[in-house]
Amino acid sequence: MITLDDDRLTFRFPDVHAKAVLTIELQRTLRIPDHDEGLYGLPPGLGRFPLRHLDDYAGRIPAAQLRRGGVITPMYQAEALWIAFESSADYPFAVKVAAGKVCAISGGGWMGHLNTDPQDYLAAPDQPWLDGFCVEEGVVRQFVAMPLGQGYTAEEQLTGEAQHGGLQLMVFPMKADRYEDQYEEHERGMVMSAPPPPAADMGLAPGGRMRQQIYADDYGLDAWDQRRSSRCFVTIANSRQWLSITGERPPTEPPSARAYTEAGLPWFDYYAGDAAALAGADKLHGLASVAQTAAAAGDAPPPDNQPLAAPRVVTLRRSDTAQVREPSGWDTY
Amino acid sequence: MTHFGAVVREERERLRRRDRRFSLRQVALRVGVEPAYLSKIERGRVPPPSEAVTRRLAQELGQNPDVLLALAGKVSGDLLAIIRARPRLFAELLRQLEEAPDHAVLRVVREVRDGEW
Repeated sequence: MITLDDDRLTFRFPDVHAKAVLTIELQRTLRIPDHDEGLYGLPPGLGRFPLRHLDDYAGRIPAAQLRRGGVITPMYQAEALWIAFESSADYPFAVKVAAGKVCAISGGGWMGHLNTDPQDYLAAPDQPWLDGFCVEEGVVRQFVAMPLGQGYTAEEQLTGEAQHGGLQLMVFPMKADRYEDQYEEHERGMVMSAPPPPAADMGLAPGGRMRQQIYADDYGLDAWDQRRSSRCFVTIANSRQWLSITGERPPTEPPSARAYTEAGLPWFDYYAGDAAALAGADKLHGLASVAQTAAAAGDAPPPDNQPLAAPRVVTLRRSDTAQVREPSGWDTY
Repeated sequence: MTHFGAVVREERERLRRRDRRFSLRQVALRVGVEPAYLSKIERGRVPPPSEAVTRRLAQELGQNPDVLLALAGKVSGDLLAIIRARPRLFAELLRQLEEAPDHAVLRVVREVRDGEW
């Protein structure tokens, strides 16, 4: 079961294990510059994106989108996000993440089960964050929101269609006996007639390149309880659609990567010891970035896209739970 | 009421052992109270602080705000507002669920609906 509280999605599997609880949130962040030679650190989290039950806006959302269920969130065009995974009991989960039903790890089409060759999921919360499409070993291309229908999104580039958009999440808990073996011993609406509602029609496109390893699954396919899973479609509305659908103002636009860096605020790196990283998917490696697509179409590049000089990078470690991937807390030390 | 202070102190000290930014002084500054006041709270010399301060403490120490508020003998203002808006319905609901096991309580929460996609 999935519940929504304070802009967090909580996936619970009480019939598998009382501790099988995973929280997923979408973090607002800077868009990193998108150019071929660039390779950046991890940008900060600037707070959670608002998430609302899609069902609360029946009548203001086209029926075809309403059928998907799930939640809705607002993003500005060319705004970036990253996904955070947290389990307070460190219960492991296999998580599939797709954009427009294209797997962000393998580049393959949507499948409702786990595959290992190539691996099309990540193991959370060992993998604490996912920032983009896994294009090479140790490199992702940032998730950047773009309107569907203009050829930018991974979905359109790989399938030739702008059908789904949004973000799809599917979570499988570890089998309870595996968890016990491995861990316990180690540790301790409303409807109105109105003009046709606006379609929330944003998808995720590959942006700039950053250093992030997607770790190979160390537990093995057999560890995951594939009889149990929960999934959620996250519909992405642009800021104007969001206002008209929900009546709420979206968050303010994040600062540019340049303004943030010039303020002396930190970027981040994550250190997980000698964990093995996935090689990256050829299909995703071949995608054109937002800047490349814009250049090919003769459109303007995304704003504030100039390369940045080496920013200050703070390395975070799994063991140190007091450290956070946020600008605050670092500036005064 | 000393229990609240003891929990705050224990949790802050646990974090401080790995990170000196969790000293009494620095936590007090970030939460927006005098270090002497936080010290008194931790030692149970004064009653638990306001809801706002308790929430900031919870966030700072990575604790659930509702749990910390309960330790302070308070109920979150937003929960009170929910009950006041429909007092009969929610009073009845809470009394009904008082003895229910956790999994039964979870059954009445609102789930995110999955559809066709």
